[in-house]
Amino acid sequence: MNSLILMILLGALLFSIGAMIIVMKKNAIMMLLGIELMLNASNINLVAFNRFYPTRMDGQMFALFVILVAVCETAIGLALILRVYQYYQTSIPENINELKG
Amino acid sequence: MQNILSFLILVPLLGSLAALLIPSKKVSAFRWLALGAVCVQLVLFVLLLRNYQPEIGLQFIEQRLWISLDLGSWGVLKADYLLGVDGMSLPLVGLSIFIMLIACISSWHTLSNVKGYFSLLLLLNASIIGTFTAVDFLLFYLFFEFMLLPMFFLIGIWGGARREYASIKFFLYTLLGSILILIVLIGLYLSVNDPSGAGGLVHTFNMIHMANPANYISNTILDPNNMITIGPLSARAWAFLFLFFGFAIKLPMVPLHTWLPDAHVDASTPVSIILAALLLKIGAYGLLRIVYPIFPEAAVQFSTMVAVFGVVSILYGALAAMASKDLKRMIAYSSVSHMGFVLLGLASVTTEGVTGAVYQMLSHGILSGMLFILAGVLYDRTADRSIRNYSGLASKMPLYFVTVLIAFFASLGLPAFSGFIAEVMVLLGAFKSNAHNGLIHESLAVLATIGLIFGAAYFLWAIQRMFFGPFDVKGVAKKLELPDLDNRELLMLIPPCIITFIFGVYPQPLLDFINPFASDFVNHVITQAKILSAHP
Amino acid sequence: MLCLFLTLFLPLLSSFFSFSTPDRYSWLIILIAPFLLLLTAVFSLIVIFSCWNNTAGLIRIPWISLSDASISANIFLENTTLLMASVVSVVSFLVHLYSVGYMAGDGNPRKYFGMLGFFTFAMQGIVLADNLLVLFIFWELVGFSSYILIGHWSEKTQAGKAATKAFLFNRVGDAAFLIGLMVIWDTTGTFEISTINTSATFEWQTFAGLCIFGGVIGKSAQFPLFTWLPDAMEGPTPVSALIHAATMVAAGVYLLIRVFPLFSETALMVIAVTGAVTAFAGALAALFQFDIKKVLAYSTISQLGLMILTIGMGGVYAGLLHLFAHAFFKACLFLSAGSVIHSLHQAQRRDQHHFDVQDLRNMGGLRKNLPVTFLTFTISGASLAGIPFFSGFLSKEAMYTALLKDNTTFSLAVFVVMAIVSFLTVLYTFRLIWFIFMDDSRKPSALPVVEVPMIMRIPTALLAASSIWIIVSLNPFNFFGWIVTDRSNAPSIWLTIFSVMWVAVALVMAYMRFRKPSFLPNEFIADAFKIDVAYDFAIKRSSEKLATTVEFSDQRIIDKAIHASAYGHVIFAHVIGWFDKYIVDGLVHFVSSIIRWVGGIARSYQNGKIQDYILYAILALIIFIIWAL
Repeated sequence: MNSLILMILLGALLFSIGAMIIVMKKNAIMMLLGIELMLNASNINLVAFNRFYPTRMDGQMFALFVILVAVCETAIGLALILRVYQYYQTSIPENINELKG
Repeated sequence: MQNILSFLILVPLLGSLAALLIPSKKVSAFRWLALGAVCVQLVLFVLLLRNYQPEIGLQFIEQRLWISLDLGSWGVLKADYLLGVDGMSLPLVGLSIFIMLIACISSWHTLSNVKGYFSLLLLLNASIIGTFTAVDFLLFYLFFEFMLLPMFFLIGIWGGARREYASIKFFLYTLLGSILILIVLIGLYLSVNDPSGAGGLVHTFNMIHMANPANYISNTILDPNNMITIGPLSARAWAFLFLFFGFAIKLPMVPLHTWLPDAHVDASTPVSIILAALLLKIGAYGLLRIVYPIFPEAAVQFSTMVAVFGVVSILYGALAAMASKDLKRMIAYSSVSHMGFVLLGLASVTTEGVTGAVYQMLSHGILSGMLFILAGVLYDRTADRSIRNYSGLASKMPLYFVTVLIAFFASLGLPAFSGFIAEVMVLLGAFKSNAHNGLIHESLAVLATIGLIFGAAYFLWAIQRMFFGPFDVKGVAKKLELPDLDNRELLMLIPPCIITFIFGVYPQPLLDFINPFASDFVNHVITQAKILSAHP
Repeated sequence: MLCLFLTLFLPLLSSFFSFSTPDRYSWLIILIAPFLLLLTAVFSLIVIFSCWNNTAGLIRIPWISLSDASISANIFLENTTLLMASVVSVVSFLVHLYSVGYMAGDGNPRKYFGMLGFFTFAMQGIVLADNLLVLFIFWELVGFSSYILIGHWSEKTQAGKAATKAFLFNRVGDAAFLIGLMVIWDTTGTFEISTINTSATFEWQTFAGLCIFGGVIGKSAQFPLFTWLPDAMEGPTPVSALIHAATMVAAGVYLLIRVFPLFSETALMVIAVTGAVTAFAGALAALFQFDIKKVLAYSTISQLGLMILTIGMGGVYAGLLHLFAHAFFKACLFLSAGSVIHSLHQAQRRDQHHFDVQDLRNMGGLRKNLPVTFLTFTISGASLAGIPFFSGFLSKEAMYTALLKDNTTFSLAVFVVMAIVSFLTVLYTFRLIWFIFMDDSRKPSALPVVEVPMIMRIPTALLAASSIWIIVSLNPFNFFGWIVTDRSNAPSIWLTIFSVMWVAVALVMAYMRFRKPSFLPNEFIADAFKIDVAYDFAIKRSSEKLATTVEFSDQRIIDKAIHASAYGHVIFAHVIGWFDKYIVDGLVHFVSSIIRWVGGIARSYQNGKIQDYILYAILALIIFIIWAL
């Protein structure tokens, strides 16, 4: 079995788990974690593919980039969740239904 | 001087608007406003009369662009604000103003909702003058339709016992006529080209252009140079019939007349006066101004039919009047009979006949106004109009008797009153027609003469029953006082007496207006008909 | 010229004056109106003396001008017109004078004298007009004034009925006249009598002539339209004298004289026959009347019939002569009868005794009470009967002569009719005078009957004086004089002898028959052969029936049709309304509910749950991916 396929399978597995977490978890913080997982699954892919073209650093660069963005995203996301929590006294999106028609 | 006709229309219109601004408590203000507006019109009319030149046909023409719509490949839709008067419409405008003056005086003591009443009256005034002066068919139609609205409310609100029935009947009848007219209006619009349109296709509503066969777009529905046949008749013949019946409802012509007695019986006196004196004339006016000049060949083709309808109206109206027990109903039927003479004179297409027809329109306008005032006088006193409930009024109300005598005898065609001149001219024209242009047979004129006998019969019987014999009043009115005419009533009755007498003794001043029109009219219709029917 | 216009317009002025005088000053009218008429009479005599036997003249007065024709109200001057104009004004003046006495105490002198003046004006208009249309106008106007005057006593129901009848019967004739006018206008293009008379014959001439004669039948009370005249006696007696004896009814005869050249052979024949029938019927009916005025009315009808018969036979001059003589003696008869009625009426009022003062059966032996009236009545009656030395004899002689001019069977037959009528005339005149004035047995002796006032006696006496032969010619046995100058119409001596003998025989017979008072009522003849009943049945009923039919058709057929169509509309509108409500609206509702349903489904996905949205997105992505694979 080729290691690349293993890598990709791992990525896909992580991605799917992340997606499932987003869809299924009630808490917004958990959903944020799910997003992190999905981002990291794509990072695994980037890094794995980069192994076949060692001279080019595009994969690593992208992975670093993604980590950076993920950090910013988490920071902003957590801040938003905190504000929402302060306002609504909950961090569960289902309970926030003020705009529902 | 240029815009005098517009002013004639605008003055009552502005008066009507002004009436809306006055608080409705100031009852007498409305009366004076209406009277003032009509007096201003009278002054304008005198100005018009002084500047009129009988030798020119249509004059005081005012033309303004009203609607001009470029429809691309379909040409240009063009309707003008086009006014003008000629020898026929000028006397009719004068008649309208005169009758409106009488109607204002007659409605002086209207009690309920004075504000609405007088503003509607002024509105009616404006649209009647507009109808008589419009030369553009669309404009004419607009005024024609606009007349219905105030009339409907005037009958329906200030009328008698069955006023709703009467007003709705009136409305539906005239609406039917209007629809017939509208159909032809559209057909004509599609077929007529404005020659001043510089080569491009310009559809127009101008009646003068419509009367000229050269202005028709070839192969359109009403093109006289290449007739299209629909069913048994040509399209133009259908158009003539539609227009004819449309206007004949207004005239009214038997058997389309039954709105008239009901409307009259239930309308109040001033409304009856306007209805009989002016609205009926508009039907005849439409025939003279629109139907005959635009469809001369169909008019000639159907002349016997028109004349037969005229004679039937004369006889039928007279007989129905004879059977009427209600004074106002009798007078209403006499109107039907008298308007039959207009139809007969028109159908003859001779100078005498057409002159007589127009003369009859004017004469009947004045006389029917008088008759309805007289019926109203009695109704005001007793609220009872049945002929059989009165007898021997001559000794009780001598002045009233004298005015009734004058009005009735003038209406039955006694010489020295205008009705005689009109009827004689119509009969001379109708009799002459066969030898002259071969349109209608002599026997129709002879039959119409029998109508004169019937006419005398019902008026005389009414006089005999109501005025001769010992004084007696039956029914509701038994206990009431019967005072003779008061000053206001005399003010309304004496001018028409004088006018009908003057025009009966010396008709020349009026003929100077009518006769040039009539000879032009006859000339146009006969020559055009000859040219057009010569086409294959 | 000026005199002529004064003759025409002074009566109109009198009429104006009478109408415009306030009630308080109505006594002024009875002074001024007769005075103005006196002036009229004087002026008309001046005109006749200055213009007699001048050549015919025409005074042109433009009236109407159309673009291709003109009608002018010309005045035609000729012996006939002048004669007639002066007869009218003289008789009218005398009647005005008489009316002052007769109508004293009447409540409405303004109307009476006003209409009398107006009548005179209109009559002068007929006489002077040279235009048939203008003549027709005045022709109707005299009918109108006759209507008002017959109905003068408006409280009497009978007066109103008689007035209406008179006008309607005239109207029937006038309608025929109008048709004649139409024919003439159509064929000749002019109404001027002087032009028509000289123009060549034209198509339809007989028809036109007969139509115009129809007008004459109405106005001159000829068969079959004569029954209005006896009824018209409801009016005041002076009116009957002026309008229904002397002038208006004679206008028809005058018209025949004026347009004589218009009539063709056939038309003249019809005219003669009509005249003969009328003359006979009138004379016979007069013989059986009991109302004094009705006797005279039928006598007038009969005499007019004689004139028309003569004209129909071509004797224009004889007709004119009789018209002239008749105007005076018949007016005199009526005024005398009026005097009788008036004096009886006064006496009756004084005595509180009530009976019909016009009924012959209530009179008798009045000659002592009313000597002047007796004299005038007898003189004019003698003239009517055609006794020698009176004007009636001469005019009758002229008529006999005219009839015998051409020796045909027809003219002989007509002559016989005329002789019988003359015979009957003598009979009824004798009967009338005898019953009123002689025969003492039925005298209303209890009544203090006294002679009428002077103002009524003078005009009667003057008219009686105009009934003797001198008015026509100097020779009492020959009608040549100032009116008939054409000597070719000489009467034969045998005719004169026959005429005298015939009257004598009739007088003897009348004396034998009526010496003893005997009344044989014959309702059939007295009611003018029940012709009125026939009219009532045939025309009045049928026209009333027609009128009710028309009303029925108006209300039941036309209006019902209108209503039916209106109901049809309403029903149709309901159907349309139902269709609108259930079909069209149902369709719309259906469509909208589908849309709503679909929208509901779509909306259910928009539940505001972020995770659901994400799930959908992921599912979609997965579907796309699978799709792409």
